Amino acid sequence: MDGEKFNIKSFGLQSSKYSKEVQGLKILVNTQTPLIWFTHPPKEPKTVVTDLSQLREGEDYNYSTGGVTRMVQPLLKRMLSEGTISEAHWVSLNSAGYNTIKAEGITHHFVSLDKSRMESYGKVKEAMWNAAHGTTKDTTAAQKIFLSDDFPDYAYYNRLTAELINGLDKDIDFDIFYIHDFQQLPIGHMLNTLKPKMYRWHTPFEESTIPEKWKMLMNTYFNAYDLIVVSSGKYLESLKSFGYNGKVKKLYPYVDPEDYTRPNNGEVSTLCDRLGIKDEDDVMLVVARMDPMKGQDRAIDAFAYIAGKYKKLRLVLVGNGSFSSSKQGLGLSKGAVWRSELEEQVNKLGISDRVIFTGHLPQNELDALYERCNFTLLPSIKEGFGLVVVESWLHHKACIVTNRAGIAELITAGKDGLLINPDDMQDIAAKISILLEDRSISRKIGQAGFEVSKLCSISAGLHEETKAIKELVAE
Amino acid sequence: MNILQVLVPIAYAGIILIATWIVARFISVIIRRLMGRSTQMLGAQIQRLVWVLVWLIGLILAIEELGVNPAILLLMVGLLGVAVIVAIRGPLENFGARYFTFGYIPFKVGDSITVLGHSGKVIEINSISTIILADDHIVSVPNSAFMKETVVNTTHQAWKAISVPIVVNNEIDIPALEGEILRSMNKLRSNFDDRFPPILTLVSRDKQSTRFVLNLMIRNPERRDAIINEVNNRIDDVIDVAKKSQKQKGRQHK
Repeated sequence: MDGEKFNIKSFGLQSSKYSKEVQGLKILVNTQTPLIWFTHPPKEPKTVVTDLSQLREGEDYNYSTGGVTRMVQPLLKRMLSEGTISEAHWVSLNSAGYNTIKAEGITHHFVSLDKSRMESYGKVKEAMWNAAHGTTKDTTAAQKIFLSDDFPDYAYYNRLTAELINGLDKDIDFDIFYIHDFQQLPIGHMLNTLKPKMYRWHTPFEESTIPEKWKMLMNTYFNAYDLIVVSSGKYLESLKSFGYNGKVKKLYPYVDPEDYTRPNNGEVSTLCDRLGIKDEDDVMLVVARMDPMKGQDRAIDAFAYIAGKYKKLRLVLVGNGSFSSSKQGLGLSKGAVWRSELEEQVNKLGISDRVIFTGHLPQNELDALYERCNFTLLPSIKEGFGLVVVESWLHHKACIVTNRAGIAELITAGKDGLLINPDDMQDIAAKISILLEDRSISRKIGQAGFEVSKLCSISAGLHEETKAIKELVAE
Repeated sequence: MNILQVLVPIAYAGIILIATWIVARFISVIIRRLMGRSTQMLGAQIQRLVWVLVWLIGLILAIEELGVNPAILLLMVGLLGVAVIVAIRGPLENFGARYFTFGYIPFKVGDSITVLGHSGKVIEINSISTIILADDHIVSVPNSAFMKETVVNTTHQAWKAISVPIVVNNEIDIPALEGEILRSMNKLRSNFDDRFPPILTLVSRDKQSTRFVLNLMIRNPERRDAIINEVNNRIDDVIDVAKKSQKQKGRQHK
């Protein structure tokens, strides 16, 4: 028997009242990361519009696993099915060769960036990412990044994207533009339109971590948008004090419960056998891409600290690199380097027989691990929101969450989650012990978390996004 | 009538027109080089004016060669010109002022200024006048006023700001052009306030051309003119390279 789908009704999914008023809009969405990665260039000329159904998943393409695409795709699908939008076009970076492809009612257009510019673009993007996460190492160099010789290639990529969008707008006449993520920040300023422009900043946003010399340019870019969406109240306040004069809205990221299944015992056993997890083992699960920011090193240290006391405890680390560190993406080697550092750390601590690196797992296997684990841990040093916590809650599993994640403001410590300081290894170890010592606490927190997860379901997101779009278009 | 008597004047007229075309192009190039030190917009206007004059002279000479008395044509052009100038003297003055102020723009749209006793925010600069929003009132100030009157720009750090208009034809690879302009500006980075990096803004686009403004913030006001000249020269060079590259691509495409 295949795993059962999560019961959507339990999430109160219903048509948004706003979708009845705003109908048939044409929307343009822009992200850096594409929903689909192609494994090889097209056989036909680039100009041919291909339907994704003509290609094979796994052979010709794969879906991105990133949080942004994971939110945007279900949102567009739901808005299409409800009639709020009649046309959805999605522009993203993809140098594999296709120009346009249609998938599930959405037309994807791709920007191709040649290798010579990719490296410089990646450097500026990394600097921005580090600034957002407060991990800038060379602050002097970071201050000067917008006057560096790498910046013209970052501007080139964004202008290339904006010009593609401008061209599409000429043909399609969109009603609204919805730009996502920090890499695409200049797009709003570069678009030649007076139509509404909405922007979602997905990473953390704290004024204190942004270099002083970036403020003018970033504010020029921010102020080109009519509405900016952020993932927490803290980021909202920070954006206002930073100098953004437009509308700003807090909107929790969301997942579509339909994308998750509750696997049966057979599926769980098969996966555990493959990974070497025994029936009597306790499993602590960390799901995050391989990135120093995700704090897997802290999870390993805390695990090592208590490994002697809890002999049956296993640490499972799921995830590989992001689009940026993939060969199909920007080719930055961050993910692979970080994983080898973690493996070395595990070896040094003498716990290699109890720590499992799974790499990327397909969703059904990830669901199986969520079902099998005792609890999950999100030890990130900085985290825009933390949708993996919601995934954990969907499986009724308790989650120990870094207090530096956007989702931390949704958690009542001890009730629906446990909060930790990721810099305090003993704190992490203590919270792990709480869940291992009393299984009933873990169960109660997991159940309470499931209730909180409804705030981050697609139905809640659809309602809020539609409301925001409606208000913007109607103005 | 000898056929040669007909063909020779036509041939001479043709040669004159070809020579006119060569001279017009040659003078355009010279003006562009000379005006490289001024603004692109002003240069384009002067180039157009001289081009019209050269062609007018060329046409008159060609017509004369064909045996037609050019006096009537000259008289008509002259009278028409006088009539036009008399009729639109005011607007012409403003139009001219609009382009001369481009050479040293003391303000831009969005700045707060005081002129002729009116203080407000500049919301539009068109060919004839500059529109100011003052205390919820729209004030239209003729552009010629900016040549005669004292203008105070009260915008914070306005002395630092330089706005350089850039017009390019739509066949140019715009993203590559932007990348190259920014790269070119990086060579002058020591002159810029590093809190305000150069930023290129698309102002408008029609079927033929795209208008941008390059906004810069300088460190030293006393070097303002030198920086404007250097920036204009660099932009001209980048545009020349972009045009050549576009032509090459066009040839390869053919």
